[in-house]
Amino acid sequence: MTGTPYPKLPMHRIAYTKLTKNQISAKLNGVAKRGPACASPLAKGLAGQSMKIVTDDGPSLAYEFSSDTKLSVAENGGNAVDAGYGALEQGDICFFSHMIPNTQRGYAVAVDRASKLATVVELWFSGYQDNREVQRQIYYGYVDTGGAAPKERHGYTDRLEGRGYHWRQDSGMETLEYYPSAGYSHFVELSRTGGELGFSAPSDYVKLNNDFFVYTRTECEFSGTFTAYVIDMNRTRQMGVRLGFDEHDDLHYYLFRGDGDIVGQIARFEKFGDYSGNPIPGPKDKDGKPVKGSRRVYRPLKTMEKLTKAQVNKIVKEHSTAFPKRTTTGGAAGMAANALPASDSLAGKTFTLRYDNAPAMEYRVRSADELEWRMDGKGSFKKARYQAYEAAPGLFLFGHLLEGAPNHDGHIIAVDFHEGLVTCYNGFLNTPYFANEAGARTLFGVVEMDGIIPPMYRRHARTTEMLGRCITYSYAPGLTSMHLYSTPHTVSWIIFTPDGHGGMEWSGPGDFVKIRDGIYFMYWLEEACNGTLGTILLNLNIMHDAGVGYHCGTRGGLNMSQIGAVVRHAGKFQVDEYFQIKGSGSVT
Amino acid sequence: MSNNDTASRRSFLKRGVLLAAPLAAGTPAVALATDGTRARLQRLEDEAAIRDLHRSWLRKINAGDSDPALGEAVRRIGIDHAEPEVIDVAADGKTASGRFHCTVELEDVIAKDSTLAQMARAQGTGLVSHTERRVLEVEYTKSAAGWSIERVIL
Repeated sequence: MTGTPYPKLPMHRIAYTKLTKNQISAKLNGVAKRGPACASPLAKGLAGQSMKIVTDDGPSLAYEFSSDTKLSVAENGGNAVDAGYGALEQGDICFFSHMIPNTQRGYAVAVDRASKLATVVELWFSGYQDNREVQRQIYYGYVDTGGAAPKERHGYTDRLEGRGYHWRQDSGMETLEYYPSAGYSHFVELSRTGGELGFSAPSDYVKLNNDFFVYTRTECEFSGTFTAYVIDMNRTRQMGVRLGFDEHDDLHYYLFRGDGDIVGQIARFEKFGDYSGNPIPGPKDKDGKPVKGSRRVYRPLKTMEKLTKAQVNKIVKEHSTAFPKRTTTGGAAGMAANALPASDSLAGKTFTLRYDNAPAMEYRVRSADELEWRMDGKGSFKKARYQAYEAAPGLFLFGHLLEGAPNHDGHIIAVDFHEGLVTCYNGFLNTPYFANEAGARTLFGVVEMDGIIPPMYRRHARTTEMLGRCITYSYAPGLTSMHLYSTPHTVSWIIFTPDGHGGMEWSGPGDFVKIRDGIYFMYWLEEACNGTLGTILLNLNIMHDAGVGYHCGTRGGLNMSQIGAVVRHAGKFQVDEYFQIKGSGSVT
Repeated sequence: MSNNDTASRRSFLKRGVLLAAPLAAGTPAVALATDGTRARLQRLEDEAAIRDLHRSWLRKINAGDSDPALGEAVRRIGIDHAEPEVIDVAADGKTASGRFHCTVELEDVIAKDSTLAQMARAQGTGLVSHTERRVLEVEYTKSAAGWSIERVIL
């Protein structure tokens, strides 16, 4: 093996080609006739069979399976067309997929032979402004055998919410997949991208019966690739299909089988008895009917403000604020209604924070909200507005902007006066992709102050103790999210619906530092997503955090604001073993 | 029984009886009345008509009709039976005012000033509901068509 296991660019940085309809048609040409590839043997049970599937408010599909790879299908009583297909079976469930020749459409179908019920997923390209993003519409129906139609149907569910799996596919792909929402999911590609970051995608969860469920995801905002698979819940196996174009615009259309391990099950927050799914249904048309394929998708890259370095410099010069008044009753970011009160305990103190690999910061704290700072003992002290929160006895979080810094830095600092230790998240702007997107450095050091003898060797340290944990954060009435720490470098956040379903989800890179037992200092970067640096000092002893946000935009200028929440522990996925560095890559 | 429910069928019927009683005997009573009793009867009829108007307005609001005077946040108004309602009809019988204690269900939209709030709004939620006790002050005017609401202050 040559090369390290990491991609040149993470998914959110890849400039995926805006494929035209003609380009997509050209790539699909031939695939519909051949059918999907598959590394495992295809099921032969359908060969020689015919099957008519009737769906509610959707197509009727009359199939003739001439072999294990060829079928003809007539949609809605129309002319039959020949296509290639592939099928896989697990227990009573048969899963097959095919495209419709000379179109950009196809189907993935799950049939329960015992109940005669069917879930039909119609798939197509060129249905969204980004043609490469696969669209889907799910229909529920049954196999028409000539008798009375069954009343039961498969249906959306939240029964999979909270589950996490490690999957090993026959294609060689190895993933961690988390279902912390009933409408989104989070996936970590361990084999293809080294598992450094996880990503989030809109998803469907369908109950076939108590033993088998269907999961889908569409990698919106990224390659647009669609994945669907049936999960055998008892045997922890999967069988499914993957359809889409990769970062090289190569078409992938294949069936797969996989074996898995359950890595955990976290709490769900719906009322007992609520097993409903599809918690964020798509927009409807003027008549109130669902629009085919519609879904609510969070598209942060599309909607985020993108500023140049010149624009950022101008904005910062004109409008920089730190901690607007009365932050404990709302705050600039609206995420501080439940925040800890600001502390005046640092007022009157003079100390130096000596970082190992960054300039020392001297502080003279003048009052509860004003301090003076100087870097490396050079020049005169500069005034800055700050705010401090005592997250635990003797442990403070405080932050301030560094006026005059060329990249408009801000320091957000967890300082432990009992231990003489400090960790600083140094936020900065003028980052390579968008100048208003924050970057962050993690600085470790000690506190020098009268009465404190700092340690010589000991420091706060990065930790994986938060890895796999899910923590809910209630910032304000109506504003509760849940963090999922899916990799040692990823923070994912899930927004709840009013009835407690996990709804939209997104994620970004993060860092995790252990400050004391049960107390962790963490950040997340909203890369390609508003550009905010969010930091929290989480105290699991009191189930509360203290936090500071650092953001630059046209509307609020450069600002630093308080955030804070009452938290709950939703559970922990056991995934440590998948993130051990084993030296499997090589450049020699 | 809750004191904060909306106009119930029972309370509505009860008030209907109060309204209907003088009207049922209206013609002979008016024919026989002195000026004083005629004025008192007229005031009772006006108060009953205003109560009817108020409840009709409440039903519309609670059914989803909007009233610019209430603001966009008001979703529902419940009668607070624990507090007396006051209806004052002016001496000339052309205007009136009402004071009604109520519980108001409000729904505020979360400002889209953070990523979380933007996501909440994007998924069609992002509303914060809460209930407040308020006093509804209403001014009425009477025309040939009957009583109508001139002004509402919540």
